[in-house]
Amino acid sequence: MLALSILVAVVCLATTLLGVYYAVRDLNADLVLLGACALVAVVWTTLGIALGIRDLGGGHPGDRITLYGYLLTGLAMTVGGGWVGLWERSRWGSLVIAVVALVAVVLLMRLHQIWPGGFA
Amino acid sequence: MTDPRSPSGPRSRGFEAVLIIVYALFALSATARSLVQMGRDFSFAPVAYVLSLLAALTYIAVAVALVRRGRRSPLAVVLCLIELVGVLAVGTLSVLEPALLADDTVWSGYGQGYGYVPLLLPIVALVYIVLGRRARRAEPAEPAAAR
Repeated sequence: MLALSILVAVVCLATTLLGVYYAVRDLNADLVLLGACALVAVVWTTLGIALGIRDLGGGHPGDRITLYGYLLTGLAMTVGGGWVGLWERSRWGSLVIAVVALVAVVLLMRLHQIWPGGFA
Repeated sequence: MTDPRSPSGPRSRGFEAVLIIVYALFALSATARSLVQMGRDFSFAPVAYVLSLLAALTYIAVAVALVRRGRRSPLAVVLCLIELVGVLAVGTLSVLEPALLADDTVWSGYGQGYGYVPLLLPIVALVYIVLGRRARRAEPAEPAAAR
């Protein structure tokens, strides 16, 4: 679980850096950046499913509503950000993807606080 | 490379797109947090929870106003001002009269729990809108190259 968490963090940070690079270079979000955003969504969902399985398997998250709320928010935000990045054909669309990827890292850190046992 | 099917029209929204995503994110998380807190035990901190709900509604309103009317609408300006006043008022209240707020709200401590983004967001939005107005008032022969 910790390895999966690190994977999510790495993918999100890489996407953030990529998005910032695109924004600085005045590039629209192309398939590479949009693909990275999609990858964030995929690994985030994987993490959510893994945590859900651990929960079903007898784990005791302190606050289920907050936990799944954060997971769903992270997913909605990533998909929404990718959508905006797709339609906003400018450097700002790329920056939007960078922003949602960065916020995903913050949400990930909060997940560790909400249910530390889930990642142990 | 322009996409003629872009719903925002022939011109892209620019930085406004970033504002929209951030406001939408805060709208989502503030609303969820507010509903969960109120649903669990409203009597625990009624003042705080009502303020949380007001914050959530403000974020929703700004996000919708920006999406539907863009930076030019006076409504967006008014809503951002309301938001700024709200952050400053609730933040000050949380510092001076913490006993009134038994639980945290989005705007407690000037948005401390959210990296002070709730404080910076309306300021950035208002600056962006005002700069946009100045640029449009400049002569057409001189586009907003000055700023």
